[in-house]
Amino acid sequence: MPELKLPDIDYAALLPMLILFGAACVGVLIEGFVPRSVRNMVQLVLSLAAMVAALVFVIRRAGEVTAENAATIGGAIMIDNMGLFMEGALLVLGLVSLLLFGERTLERGGAFVPHAAVTVGSERDREQAVDSGATEVYPLALFSLGGMLMFVTANDLLTMFVALEVFSLPLYLMCALARRKRLLSQESALKYFLLGAYASAFFLFGVAMIYGFAKGVDFRAIHEAVRGSETSPTLLLIGLALVAIGLLFKIAAAPFHVWTPDVYQGAPTPVTAFMAACTKAAAFGALLRVLYVGFDGAKWHFTPVLGAVAVLTMLVGAVLAVTQTDLKRLLAYSSVANAGYLMVGLLGGNKDGLSSTLFYLVAYGFTVIAAFALVSLVRDADGEATHLSRWAGLGRRSPLFAGIFTFLLLAFAGIPLTSGFMAKFGVFGAAIAGDQTWLVIFGVLTSIVLAFPYLRVVVMMWLSEPGETTPSVSIPGVLTSAVLGIGTVATLLLGVLPGPLLELADQASSFIR
Amino acid sequence: MSLSAYIPIVGLFALAAAFGLFSVAIAPFVGPRRFNRAKLDAYECGIEPTPQPIGGGRFPVKFYLTAMLFIIFDIEIIFLYPWAVSFDMLGLFGFVEMVLFIVAVFVAYTYVWRRGGLDWD
Amino acid sequence: MSGVETGEAVAFFLLAPLSVIGALGMVMARNAVHSALWLVLTMLSLGVFYIVQAGPFIGMVQIIVYTGAIMMLFLFVLMLVGRDASDSVIETLRGQRVVAIVLGVGLAGLLGLGTYRATQGLAVTGLDEANKAGNVQGLARLIFTNYVFAFEVTSALLITAAVGAMILAHVERRRGERVGQAAKMRERFLPGNYPGPKAGPGVYATSTSVATPAKLPDGSPAPRSISPILPTRELTAAEKANKHTEGR
Repeated sequence: MPELKLPDIDYAALLPMLILFGAACVGVLIEGFVPRSVRNMVQLVLSLAAMVAALVFVIRRAGEVTAENAATIGGAIMIDNMGLFMEGALLVLGLVSLLLFGERTLERGGAFVPHAAVTVGSERDREQAVDSGATEVYPLALFSLGGMLMFVTANDLLTMFVALEVFSLPLYLMCALARRKRLLSQESALKYFLLGAYASAFFLFGVAMIYGFAKGVDFRAIHEAVRGSETSPTLLLIGLALVAIGLLFKIAAAPFHVWTPDVYQGAPTPVTAFMAACTKAAAFGALLRVLYVGFDGAKWHFTPVLGAVAVLTMLVGAVLAVTQTDLKRLLAYSSVANAGYLMVGLLGGNKDGLSSTLFYLVAYGFTVIAAFALVSLVRDADGEATHLSRWAGLGRRSPLFAGIFTFLLLAFAGIPLTSGFMAKFGVFGAAIAGDQTWLVIFGVLTSIVLAFPYLRVVVMMWLSEPGETTPSVSIPGVLTSAVLGIGTVATLLLGVLPGPLLELADQASSFIR
Repeated sequence: MSLSAYIPIVGLFALAAAFGLFSVAIAPFVGPRRFNRAKLDAYECGIEPTPQPIGGGRFPVKFYLTAMLFIIFDIEIIFLYPWAVSFDMLGLFGFVEMVLFIVAVFVAYTYVWRRGGLDWD
Repeated sequence: MSGVETGEAVAFFLLAPLSVIGALGMVMARNAVHSALWLVLTMLSLGVFYIVQAGPFIGMVQIIVYTGAIMMLFLFVLMLVGRDASDSVIETLRGQRVVAIVLGVGLAGLLGLGTYRATQGLAVTGLDEANKAGNVQGLARLIFTNYVFAFEVTSALLITAAVGAMILAHVERRRGERVGQAAKMRERFLPGNYPGPKAGPGVYATSTSVATPAKLPDGSPAPRSISPILPTRELTAAEKANKHTEGR
């Protein structure tokens, strides 16, 4: 039997992921052994500590990346500058949204249902209204985040697929755990799970096709094969299309976006925030790697198709956002449209396109987490009051929060002095530099359309009289306040002083093949 | 790889299928037929047949948990098999990796056990 | 090796139609249990395909995990729902079924045709090289080198699955709600309960039929001694009569 050549494993480079997975395992054990009364505190502290530790190791790694030490485990994982940036961004955004998971002052027991298996509406269901929420969400979030880190650093399609499943499965679960409107929450989880499984199947089918074309699944082999293979490119095109479908589903690009509004609406708001910021970032990180590293030779094939997808995404997101009457759905469609803008940057196809997409992901992540944090504050007896009409006159009742929300909406709309403006400016600029002006035209047009629903909310909040049914804005606890503060300040800072992050994104915008 | 190794298995399959079909097909013709109601009932210590099971033919959700656990360990064994076959080649590294994997799956088992997922009452 | 062996061709042309029929049957069957059984056919055929294509390990895994474990899970889930539950034929979106069929057939055609054309004239490498040291050994070599991290992380997937099943399907009993073995035993021997086994049918009865209830000491029939599905048999006069076993 021939000797086995063991792969070199650079544990220092893998440490952020190992910490997250390890902490998640410990978290699962805590669920079994620590008494219920202290579980929430222990889990929250453990998760935050794990994320901070992982972030520290990401930062320590930052200066040390070279072309030699980036690939590890025989090239299955690639921790290059781009991967490190994405890891860091995911950890920061995950950290901020995890604070929302821990919030227990807005609602007794938190945003999660104590026992999800109890039949909705039963006697037992009413009894559990006062119980403390499920704390399994913390290890699940850690597993998910670890999977995301692996997703953006995976250097072959099979590792990427495993990572895709590892980060998706906990998300499907967490969607089903809302404390209020449980049927809606369970429906959203089922929908997300079925469609997600379907998208994964597409991805896997595409991997098989690409294996047939390139005789390998790692990006270097694919890159070589794309550049100089005598095989008919049909397999490549089919494979690339199917892999792209799997990834476009995760970033919620039209026409693979149909799950987004239902899932964003039904999922517990902290989970929605986590998904909107982190899932999008992770999926874009992977899409960037797939397109820039593996398939850069097929650029002429995929740019027009993905351009059409981007245009469709922007149009669908913007137009349907106008018709929404529920705030969470509105933000969901806004998230769809933002996926379109991100794709515009990505299709710029140059270094600017890469760095502007990275900047956009971080900027959008902070803003959207803060926006969902605010949505979780406006409540009445039935939980969150997300119908738009209920927000009328909120500006009179609590000017501070209405003011913050107005600012966040303006950032979404891309008004100067907010991070949204800098982000959009960056991606559109990169697209023009990359000769994709037609995308920019659609981008600007849909931005104008998209400004309408945002402004409508603003007008409703400030210019309507508060009615009998206008819900009150709860006083946020420390954790939600922190999230709101971080999100708003980041939105402002990245709009006024985008320099440092732009520079960081610029340094990070290089892949190692 | 030659497929001839599978020919005995196919033969066995065919034999088993033929025997099953034969038994079912021939029984009505050669067997005695003496029906009465009591034949439907359990004899002495058997479990009484319940044409209308509790809950209209539905299983309790407990079974789902059992099936899920079974699948988890099934998959663990699928990974154990190649490791066991190539144990000599993989050496200490393979052993450590496998122990890590088993410990991780054991975490899931511990969780289910501590939360009462294995109780049946 | 580039040609197709006769055995392989026979297996393929025998099983390919079967697997397609299984897939169609699964989609079209009204009863969910029938759907599941059709799916077994497809999965078994696929398993044999893998074996035929020189992947015996994956073929066996397909049969053990999919047709064994996952189908069992399917059937359990169907039994949770109730085996009589069948598809609703009402379309929520009008024309959805037709559109879905057209698009599905279109996609299948596109992929099938594309793959067919792309693989024309493609040199078939086969798995001889990969299986040189044995199929399973080759897999082990890959799992424990380049994909070792992916393999370890799979355990995260398994943990998530267990946690998910517990969260969604297990209602935890609250403190005090659980009845221990000791309490159960105490209850069994409380006055008013009869801890012993019930009298079997026919015991002390005047007939050997299981449909004849046992007799209680006072001579009245014991209703618990016969199965509820059996109607109590009317006894004939001869059977009712004293059998003169009291000894003369």
